[in-house]
Amino acid sequence: MSTAPSNDTESMQLDPVFLNSKREAWIILGLWVVALLWAVPYCYINGFQSGLDPESVETTMGIPSWVFWGIAFPWVVADLFTIWFCLFYMKEDDLGVAHEGEDLAEEIAEMHAAEDEATTGGNES
Amino acid sequence: MSFLSTTNVSLPTLFAESNPNAALVSFLIYTAAVFVIAALSNRLLKSKSFLSEYFLGSRGLGVWAFALTFAATSSSGGSFTGFPSKIYSHGWILALWIGSYMVVPICTMGLIGKRLNQVARRSGSITVPDVVRDRFHSPVLGLMAVSLIVFFMSFNLVAQFKAGSLILQTLLDGVSIFESTADGLAQAVSGIPFLSDGVSPEYLLCLLVFGIAVIIYTTYGGFHAVVWTDVMQGIVMVIGVIIMLPLAISQAGGLENTTKLMAKMTPPRFSAGDKGGITLTLDKPAAENMRVEVGTWITDKPIADSKVPLLFRVTAAAEIPAGETSVDEVKVIQLTTLDDIERILGRRESENFLDGVTVSNIDLVQYAYGEEASQQGAYIVGPGPSPSSNTGFLPLSLAISFFFMWAISGTGQPANMVRLMAFRDTKTLQRSICTVAIYYTLIYFPLVVIFCCARVLLPGMEGESDRIMPAMAVYLTEHIGMGWLAGLLVAAPFAAVMSTVDSFLLLISSAWVRDVYQRNINPEASEKTIKLLSYLATFVVGTVAMVVAINPPQFLQDIIVYVGSGLAASFLAPIIYGLYWRRVNAAGAMGAMLGGFGLHLAMYVTGYFENGSFFKPYQMFDFDPIIVGLFGSFFCGFIVTKLTAPPPQELVQKFFYTEKAGS
Repeated sequence: MSTAPSNDTESMQLDPVFLNSKREAWIILGLWVVALLWAVPYCYINGFQSGLDPESVETTMGIPSWVFWGIAFPWVVADLFTIWFCLFYMKEDDLGVAHEGEDLAEEIAEMHAAEDEATTGGNES
Repeated sequence: MSFLSTTNVSLPTLFAESNPNAALVSFLIYTAAVFVIAALSNRLLKSKSFLSEYFLGSRGLGVWAFALTFAATSSSGGSFTGFPSKIYSHGWILALWIGSYMVVPICTMGLIGKRLNQVARRSGSITVPDVVRDRFHSPVLGLMAVSLIVFFMSFNLVAQFKAGSLILQTLLDGVSIFESTADGLAQAVSGIPFLSDGVSPEYLLCLLVFGIAVIIYTTYGGFHAVVWTDVMQGIVMVIGVIIMLPLAISQAGGLENTTKLMAKMTPPRFSAGDKGGITLTLDKPAAENMRVEVGTWITDKPIADSKVPLLFRVTAAAEIPAGETSVDEVKVIQLTTLDDIERILGRRESENFLDGVTVSNIDLVQYAYGEEASQQGAYIVGPGPSPSSNTGFLPLSLAISFFFMWAISGTGQPANMVRLMAFRDTKTLQRSICTVAIYYTLIYFPLVVIFCCARVLLPGMEGESDRIMPAMAVYLTEHIGMGWLAGLLVAAPFAAVMSTVDSFLLLISSAWVRDVYQRNINPEASEKTIKLLSYLATFVVGTVAMVVAINPPQFLQDIIVYVGSGLAASFLAPIIYGLYWRRVNAAGAMGAMLGGFGLHLAMYVTGYFENGSFFKPYQMFDFDPIIVGLFGSFFCGFIVTKLTAPPPQELVQKFFYTEKAGS
């Protein structure tokens, strides 16, 4: 952690896993917005009624039509998109090896360094 | 077969009669399987880095394990009790309520999954507070995260223990060996005030059986036991739904017929909580104390000017003392839909009717939304009938809130995040998202269909709609003469709650061992100490939660709602910023965490002053507090970051940069 960053930056590049996952996250967020904009307004306009005549209910495959076109159908579309996105669009990235215990080791080292410093500092004064 | 032929009992009848025992048998098989899995998992603990294995499965989950543990943990007991009960009570509008599940898998797993897994690997983080602490190199932030998790999740754990026991109690209701054991337990604890005051012995027995089973297998097997039991539980859930769907549709006379019948339904009238109800008068005085149980039907001739017979169903048990002829203020619901009334009267032989009574002093209230002429067809259109809200069950603002709630707030749940740290590689994540998407499609939309059919098949369950799932399982299977199948179907809700409890339990114990003890008290503790502490913490946390669940705090259900959205408001923004924004620093993450927590809490506190109850939160612009909390959290994090110094460059380099190839 004590390396001089300015020297390092030339040999470093932005992590491709970071870039890929950021791009993918934006697309997923976009999908969520599209789902919201499809389902809620469609259901609100077509499914929120007053004074419905029970005899004239519109159904599609036995489901009220507003549910079918507002929820069931986009649900299938969202599933198809999900499958395409995950299997064919998402990048297969290398997540690296797990540095088990590294965080702890680092803190222990820092702790000892601080202790040493305190002792040396105390001796010097 | 010789037994069957000599006694002249057909196989289906035999199974149908043994129905309550089928639940017991399936529960026992189930529990046995869970223990086998725990024993196998424990063997894995011997070979690898203990903490990483015990709390994170050594980051090696494959597609099926990862997908199903993710799906099963997210669907708590609520998916199979609360959700069916809501569908039954409010109709087709629940399709919109749950609609965002079409994107929940890709959102909750895809938004942060890959990157969170990578960051956790890079620092060696095992828990969510670990990630926050390492990413921002800030022990204070880590402590804040662990405090929030322990505080919030402990309430949730108690609530899930309670839910599990109630579900088990419903399943085993009517099994003779269960009832006699409960009676024995009641006698055994009669001298202990804490265990006997106001606690039903059946509930206590279920809590002990359920609690001890979960605590033992989770403690012994750790993360892998939890994951593999989740897989089994996930499979049970989906099979249950797939079997129920065609049975429900065919027995309700087709989906078209169901929707048409639902269009004519009007909500029942009901007795208000404090006063009101009906007066029952017997033809002759009761010979001995007569108990009128919950679920009993009562019918009487139509009142003047009406052709519709009166039909009531008891919602709270009442008693007519010996020698008396009447009882006042019996709590009931009254059916108002002619088709439903005729259907129940048509099967009078098989239903539980109280005969020889007349009804008077009918003092019932109607739904706040759903009964007016202008609200006809309330069960098949929005916003759905509601007993208490005159804007209906799901007004537009709430529909939008639920899109945030499930997909976005689900991403911010620490229990889900831990799982995202445990998958093996990107390929696993990609395939798992697809698996969960298909899995949810097979569960959630079919549940809406099944319990819309339940409105037609089992009218008058509004008083005890939490029991609609087992009631429906028994009804559907008995009709095809396969009562034993109910055992499998009712195992589904039980499986759902079990798979949630075990994950929460491990989440809290990992917080104590890893985040509090190892990282703050004694970083140099030996592997042996940590191992012992992990077992001990899991065991103690589970036992304490179980003991608290004996007399759970009031408002538990409301607390869960508060906890679920509070966690997301506190954690989502710091994690998203930490993963995707190089400029964010520890102060910014702290601002996001405290800002989200504080604003969300403020909505509830304002609700206390405005609406008179902490659990009726203030709804800014009619939106749920989660939306205010989430936006506030992102906003605070952004502002604080911009006002403070950039983070140390080596930290940014560690998490956002790699060595150039070839350099």
